[in-house]
Amino acid sequence: MDLGLVLKSVVALSGIGLLAALMLSTASRRFHVDVDERVEGVLSALPGANCGACGNPSCFSAAEAIVSGTQPVTACVAGGQDVAAAVAGLLGEAAPDLEVVVSVRHCGGGSNATRRFAYSGLDSCVAVSRLAGGDLTCPRGCFGYGDCVRACPFDAMTLDARGLPVIDLDKCTGCRVCVAECPRGSTGLLELVPENGAVVVRCSSHDRPKDRKAYCTMCCIACKKCEKVCPSDAIHVLDLQAVVDYSKCIACGQCVAVCPQKCIDITGRQALAKADTIDGCAGDVAGFAPLEIRAPEAIEDPVT
Amino acid sequence: MSWWTQMALLLIGAALVQNILLTRFIALCSFFGISNSMKTSVGMSLAVIFVMVMASSATWVFYYWVLKPLGVGEFLYIPAFILVIAALVQFVEMYLRKYSPALYRAMGIYLPLITTNCAVLAAATESVKPGFFKMNMPYDFTFPQAVVYTLGVALGYGFALLSFTAMRERLDIAPVPRSLKGAPMSFIAAGLLSLGYIGLGSLFGL
Repeated sequence: MDLGLVLKSVVALSGIGLLAALMLSTASRRFHVDVDERVEGVLSALPGANCGACGNPSCFSAAEAIVSGTQPVTACVAGGQDVAAAVAGLLGEAAPDLEVVVSVRHCGGGSNATRRFAYSGLDSCVAVSRLAGGDLTCPRGCFGYGDCVRACPFDAMTLDARGLPVIDLDKCTGCRVCVAECPRGSTGLLELVPENGAVVVRCSSHDRPKDRKAYCTMCCIACKKCEKVCPSDAIHVLDLQAVVDYSKCIACGQCVAVCPQKCIDITGRQALAKADTIDGCAGDVAGFAPLEIRAPEAIEDPVT
Repeated sequence: MSWWTQMALLLIGAALVQNILLTRFIALCSFFGISNSMKTSVGMSLAVIFVMVMASSATWVFYYWVLKPLGVGEFLYIPAFILVIAALVQFVEMYLRKYSPALYRAMGIYLPLITTNCAVLAAATESVKPGFFKMNMPYDFTFPQAVVYTLGVALGYGFALLSFTAMRERLDIAPVPRSLKGAPMSFIAAGLLSLGYIGLGSLFGL
């Protein structure tokens, strides 16, 4: 064996390595960029999840954008009110007032819905949605392969026994990552609603109600019973689908009780604190009693 | 063949005839990974052109001035090139951050990714061991030849990537049969595009 060759190789590689190390260490001092210390402060106030909901690739670039003034102090969607106030305090601005939103799922399908074929591929909603439009018969429903669960930067989602993602509202920050990740997010399967919105319609299909009943037992059948019972004109059947107007909803819970399909469900931070269920999908909630979140007179004298 | 004709042929040959993506199937990971939006493709193409030319200039110098005189070039060039390219990209990143923030923002996040891109290593290797041009060109590239060759490879990468991105953006809204929507259609499109490039190569029996 030629020892000289081995020696030469070692010398050549370590020489190049040493040269590179010298060059880089000089460069790191020579080209050092002074970072505004307010950026460091703002960065430590941000959640640090790098979720990208603000439009920046990382919390660091978000901090830079906020300090340089290209984005407002409320830029951090995920952080909400607390973070906005902390950031505003650091930059010497008045604390802003924010409407806090959380994510809800407009589907109660899962094991209650039929599938067109047995899928045995990648465990991903995006993958299944690209295969002949997906295995779910419903064109708007949840596939239940958990892309949103894996994408959630705050660990707020889990798949339950029905194969549907359940959102833990204590952890949900309304960062919109799940909506962006969901292949059906753009057609309204996942939506951001005010954090105290009390009810959610667990269906987003716009098919004929007859077709819908054939492929899912939990669907909205556009019967308009909720619309008629609502004292505050907050729920309407639009384009064959019940839709809640959260600016009018008074959280009386009557639509939940009257729905024959049990597809209207309780949600919202306040409402869930009162009701002893989290994402029960209505069908599981036996003997549901109307919520008493707001004063009773508010129900008798509805907001017009 | 005059010097200029040779250079022009080298550039076109590297960019189109022996296209790194669609004729030689190197760096397909980034080809499918980032070709779903025009914005990222443009950033990536610019960064690849920039890094590739710099990297292969540096590796050419290291190969002919360090490795070859020591007699270790034949077997040590790959680890040495990886080292040189990684260090160089880091250095360029720091330099850009200090002196050209606009350029840094445009291709900042792609620079570290490109460090490990196989196309960059392939171009650097080819510029000292030009296997594909053995028949028509002198075996050893001079420094200007190496630079022009790498520029051609990088331009070919950018051209193929951008044309494929444009196709994929059209395909997203095209009435594709449902069973082919998404990834299958992209593979078919890439295959057809590749046929065109390979056909260019065998057109005149090159």
